[in-house]
Amino acid sequence: MPAFDYKFQQLDPIKSFKKVPEAEQYLPGHRTCAGCGPALQYRLVAKAAGKDTIFIGPTGCMYVANASYLCTPYAVSWIHAQITNGGAVASGIEAAFKVAARKGRHKGPFPNIIVMAGDGGSVDIGLQAMSGMMYRNHKVLFICYDNESYANTGIQTSPTTPYGAATTFTPPGKEIPEGKRLFPKNVPQMVIGGHPAVKYVATTTVAHPLDLMNKVRKALSKPGPTFLHILAPCPKGWLFDEKLTPDMAKLAVETGMWEMYEWEDGVYKYTNVPKKYKPVSEYMKPQGRFAHLKPEHIAKMQAFVDEKIKQVQRPIPVAAAVPSKQLA
Amino acid sequence: MAKETMMTGCRAAAEGAKAAEVEVICSYPIRPYTAIMMELAKMVANGELDAEFIHGEGEHAQVSVVLGASAAGARAFTGSSGVGVTYAMEVYSPMAGGRYPVQMSIADRTLDPPGDFGSEHTDAMSTRDQGWLLGWASSPQEVYDNTLMSYRIGEDHRVMLPQMVCQDGYFISHIPDKVTLGEASQVKEFLPPYNPIHPLSTTNPVSHGPQIRPDQGAPMDAMRAQTFLAVPKVIEEATADFARIFGRKYDPFVEQYKLADAEIAFFIQGAHANTAKAAVDKLRSQGVKAGLARPRWIRPWPTHQLAEALGHVKAVGVVETSTSYGGAMRGGNLIHELRASLYDLDDRPLVTSFMGGLGGETIWPADFEYMAGVLSTMVKEKRTDRYVYWLGM
Repeated sequence: MPAFDYKFQQLDPIKSFKKVPEAEQYLPGHRTCAGCGPALQYRLVAKAAGKDTIFIGPTGCMYVANASYLCTPYAVSWIHAQITNGGAVASGIEAAFKVAARKGRHKGPFPNIIVMAGDGGSVDIGLQAMSGMMYRNHKVLFICYDNESYANTGIQTSPTTPYGAATTFTPPGKEIPEGKRLFPKNVPQMVIGGHPAVKYVATTTVAHPLDLMNKVRKALSKPGPTFLHILAPCPKGWLFDEKLTPDMAKLAVETGMWEMYEWEDGVYKYTNVPKKYKPVSEYMKPQGRFAHLKPEHIAKMQAFVDEKIKQVQRPIPVAAAVPSKQLA
Repeated sequence: MAKETMMTGCRAAAEGAKAAEVEVICSYPIRPYTAIMMELAKMVANGELDAEFIHGEGEHAQVSVVLGASAAGARAFTGSSGVGVTYAMEVYSPMAGGRYPVQMSIADRTLDPPGDFGSEHTDAMSTRDQGWLLGWASSPQEVYDNTLMSYRIGEDHRVMLPQMVCQDGYFISHIPDKVTLGEASQVKEFLPPYNPIHPLSTTNPVSHGPQIRPDQGAPMDAMRAQTFLAVPKVIEEATADFARIFGRKYDPFVEQYKLADAEIAFFIQGAHANTAKAAVDKLRSQGVKAGLARPRWIRPWPTHQLAEALGHVKAVGVVETSTSYGGAMRGGNLIHELRASLYDLDDRPLVTSFMGGLGGETIWPADFEYMAGVLSTMVKEKRTDRYVYWLGM
């Protein structure tokens, strides 16, 4: 059978802030908290993706706080999914458009199909569906907006909640002084590790808006499944001043709590690698979720981060994908 | 003139889906429905059907995939059995309330515990509150026919509901019987293309399923309930059209066999109704005025049709091929709705139930003779001694 041209979109990189498209696809009208990290990244993702886009919104903050009946913020098509099945619903949408394209019913560009899932909907209750989708080579971008908890239900622990973080399911107490004992899952590694059809996996944060938008465009320009892990700090869950959302993300990178990298066709490319890492205590101090920790707990966290840092390639072997001015 | 061939219920379901030109199929293996998907896989691989054949990672994924496909405008098909049916439970209400007219082809199977491949209706019956269209075939021919009729009914704009098209595992799914497939021209005339009302689109953006406030919920529930008031008319039209085009006539709601002058009657759905009909014939030859009512739909439940069909009968034996532990009569679940259907009659029939065909067991002709004896005694004594009889125990 000859290869069919589905008219997958090719989205050009945005070279500078001046060149960022003005059109908004994620508009005012949602009810997220002041300083909401996930809402910030949603706006950037939607802007980068453009109008030929369909979002799948598994239950989570970016459903419940966004999608109120009669006033959603989406200028593009959007569908609710269960927290369990974002990857599966997206797979069905992608398949339907493939058949519609083959039969001539859908004549335009193939839509960007984007799952906007929280950490729970990506690697906890949503893990099976995410993995199934990655395995089956669907042309879908799966975004994990990581606010490191089940925030929508009032801040409960998820598999990406950091060691030592207080949540309502990991409250610190006499028997469990650190609150959370478990270390988090490594989200991008779970995707990269075992899905041969995956084309591109990258990490980014809300403190790196141009980087974020360009990684979205790069992912959407691939002919198969892609994954973005986006750090989206949550003032309500992490207990920091709501004005400091991008600052928290920046500190995460500067302390090694969060790594910025792309994995593309088997090759890793690290960016924003600090010349000298700040101690994790600087990251944890402004956040009330860590306020109960003793020096031995912080030391345990530092040891965990030190191990992680060893994996990072240094010096940077390939030029950064975004202009160096943006790294400041 | 269409050819008649021997085929199993599983193959008949696959042929129906193929005739309906389904565009997105999501598979996952579980006995005994798996053969439906194996047949479709061959059709897709050989280019007989242009569809995306997606290997779901489980039954919950299957229904989720077809939900997405339907939302995006594709006619979608999936299926399952047993605990696969119950595993997908979370998604049934979103699909029905979301008005995605997907078809789920079910070859039923006893629920765990423990593992039991045998037929039982409990799997799909236990989903009956979720808002789908639901009914059982009693032959491979009817499986094929119901596949086409259910898409036609479900996709009608007055309905827009997903459908569970059920058949008895093994008895129908795996035993071949005579099936006449439709000609392409017949299918084309009977089943128009799927025409969704608000598909996910890049040219006309829509939102499916935003969060509502509690006070917005009840009106939406009422709309869903109201839809079921419109469904019977669509069923009647589709069944009549099917007869006209394909030449096979079904009673739209309740098959009535020697019921018009019956004094005792079996109320029974699915495969075992075939044995029941043979039993009715034998009873008649012995002078017993026996008859049979076979519901073809559980949702919508044919309430007044059953009152009309059974109102004159003196004693009705509900044959329960499913369980409902702790239910009102402490047996199955058909008896509750059957009694409710008859409750308002001035002269109500006596009703009892017989638990049979559970776990995959056969219901034997001798069982029907036993049931007829019980019903005849009820008529003679003008009372119901017990509401639940466990056959063979």
